[in-house]
Amino acid sequence: MIRFLTIMSSRWTRLVLVLLIVISLQTTLFAEMRPFGVAAQLVLLFVVVSGSINGSTIGALTGLIAGLMYDFVLPTPVGLTSLALGLAGATAGLLVYFFREPTWWMRLITIGVVSLLGEVYYPLAQTVVGLDGWLQFRIIKVAIVVAVCNLVLSPIAIFVCRWTLTERKLSV
Amino acid sequence: MAVAQLTRRRAIILLVLTSIILITLDLQNSSAISGLRNIFSTVFRPVESTARVITRPISNGWHGIFDYNDVLDENDRLRERIAQQEGATIAAAASVRLAQELLALNGLPTLAGINAVTAQVIGDSPTNFSQTIEINQGNESGIRVGMPVLNAAGLIGKITKVFSDRSVVMLITDPDFALSVKVVNSPRQTTTTTIAKSNAAVPSPVVPVEPDASLDTETSSTTTTTTTTTIAGFTPSVTTLPAVPSGVSSITVPLASDLAVRETGVIEGRGPSRQPTVRFISNAVRFGDIQVGVPIVTAGGSRSLSPPDILIGKVARVVERLGSAGPVLEIEPVADLTNLSFLRVLLYQPITEKATP
Repeated sequence: MIRFLTIMSSRWTRLVLVLLIVISLQTTLFAEMRPFGVAAQLVLLFVVVSGSINGSTIGALTGLIAGLMYDFVLPTPVGLTSLALGLAGATAGLLVYFFREPTWWMRLITIGVVSLLGEVYYPLAQTVVGLDGWLQFRIIKVAIVVAVCNLVLSPIAIFVCRWTLTERKLSV
Repeated sequence: MAVAQLTRRRAIILLVLTSIILITLDLQNSSAISGLRNIFSTVFRPVESTARVITRPISNGWHGIFDYNDVLDENDRLRERIAQQEGATIAAAASVRLAQELLALNGLPTLAGINAVTAQVIGDSPTNFSQTIEINQGNESGIRVGMPVLNAAGLIGKITKVFSDRSVVMLITDPDFALSVKVVNSPRQTTTTTIAKSNAAVPSPVVPVEPDASLDTETSSTTTTTTTTTIAGFTPSVTTLPAVPSGVSSITVPLASDLAVRETGVIEGRGPSRQPTVRFISNAVRFGDIQVGVPIVTAGGSRSLSPPDILIGKVARVVERLGSAGPVLEIEPVADLTNLSFLRVLLYQPITEKATP
C-alpha cells in the first residue's frame, strides 16, 4: 500500500497527469488560437521549461514522456515527437548549464532560444524518417511565433512545471 | 544521488530505444500501434472533451477579438458571390442532371450512386507540421481509411485515421497527400481545312459555323450540304464534310482535336503556404499547351482511392521543364481549406480494396 502511494505521489505520476491536461489544452484551445496562423506549442514549452529548471537529464526525460503521449494524438509516426521533444528538453538543460548562476531573464532567453530550436527539430525528425516537405522557409516564421508565444506563456509554465516536478517526501 | 542519476540515464536510453522501435513499427502500419492509439484515445478523450468545454469561452473571445472584421468582410464577399451564383446554379443543376443521366445510360459510375456521410469539423491539427483536421464521424458510420472527403466546392482530402466516432482527414495541402488526377485541357487552337472538291487538294481556311446554320456551297462539280447539331459540352466549331450526294444530310461533330483532352498525373501537397502541384503530366503534342484555369479532377480507376471526376481545383501556374519531363502544374484548390465546417465523406472504396465475401 505504501509502495502504491509512493508511486502515486511521485513527481513522474504527477507529470503524466499534468501532461494529459497540457496536451488536451494543446489540441483544443491552442489548436484554435493561431496568432499569425501559427499554433503555439504548449507541450514544447512545458518540456523546455522543465529542462531549463531541472537540468538536461530531467528535461530529456520530460520531453520523451511528453512526446510519447503527444504522439498518440498526432497523425505522424509514434515516437517522432518523443525524440524531438526529448532533444529539446536536453538542449534547454544544456544551455542553462553554461550560465553559472542563471537569473530569471537568462532562463527566459533559454526558453525562447530552445523553443525556436525545438520547433525546428520536429520537421527535421520528419525529414529523417522520410516525411519530406516540411523544411520550407515558412519554418522561420513558425519558429519565431512559437518562441514569442512561449516567452509570453513562460511565467505560468515555470510555476506549473516547478509544482509538477518538485520531489516531495510522502509522510504516512 | 548518483544512483538516481544512473536510473534516469537508463530511463532516457530506454525511452529513446522505445521511440525508435515505435517509429519503425508505425511506419510499417503495425496494428499494435493502432491498438495503442485507440487505448490512449479512450483515456484521453474525456480529458480533451472537458478541456474543450472549459476553454470554449476563451477561444470564442479570441475569435471575437481577432477575426470579427475578417468575418464581416467575408460575409460581404459571400453575399455578393451568392447573388452572382444563384442564376448559374439553376443552369448548372440542369447540366449535372443531364450528365448523370448520360453516364447512367452508358453504364458509367457517377457520384450520385455513392453513399456519403455528412460530418462536422471538430478540431484542427495541434501542430504546425501536419495539415489535418478531425471530424465527428468514424467507423461506426462506415468510414474507412482512404475514403475521399469533399465539401460543397470539391475534394478537400482523404481519411487517414479512423476511430469509432471520429476520424482524421489529411488535407490536399499536406506534403504526404498524393492522388491520381486528370487534367482536362481545353481544345487546341487548330487550323483545319476543308477539301471542297473531291479531286482537288487545295486547302482553304474554314469559317466556324453557327449552330443551326445551313450552308449550301456550290463548287464547280460537287455540292456540300451541312446540318449542324449541337451536343451539350461540345463546342460547335468547324465542319468537315466529305462531298455527299445532293439531298443527303449528316450530323456534324467537332473534330477529335477540338474535344477536351484528358491527361493523368499525380497531385501532391506542399504545405499550407504553397499550392499543391500536379506532376507526371505527359508533354505529348496531342495534349497541347496546358492553359491556366483548366480544371483538375480525380482520375478514378480500380486502384484509386477516389471515384473519377471529383473537382479538385484549377491550374494556377504551369511550370515548363526541359527535356521529356512534362510540365509541373500549380493547382489552386476550389475548396477554401482554411475555413471548413461541414464535410461529406464518400463511402467509396476501390474494387481492389473491397473485402471479398
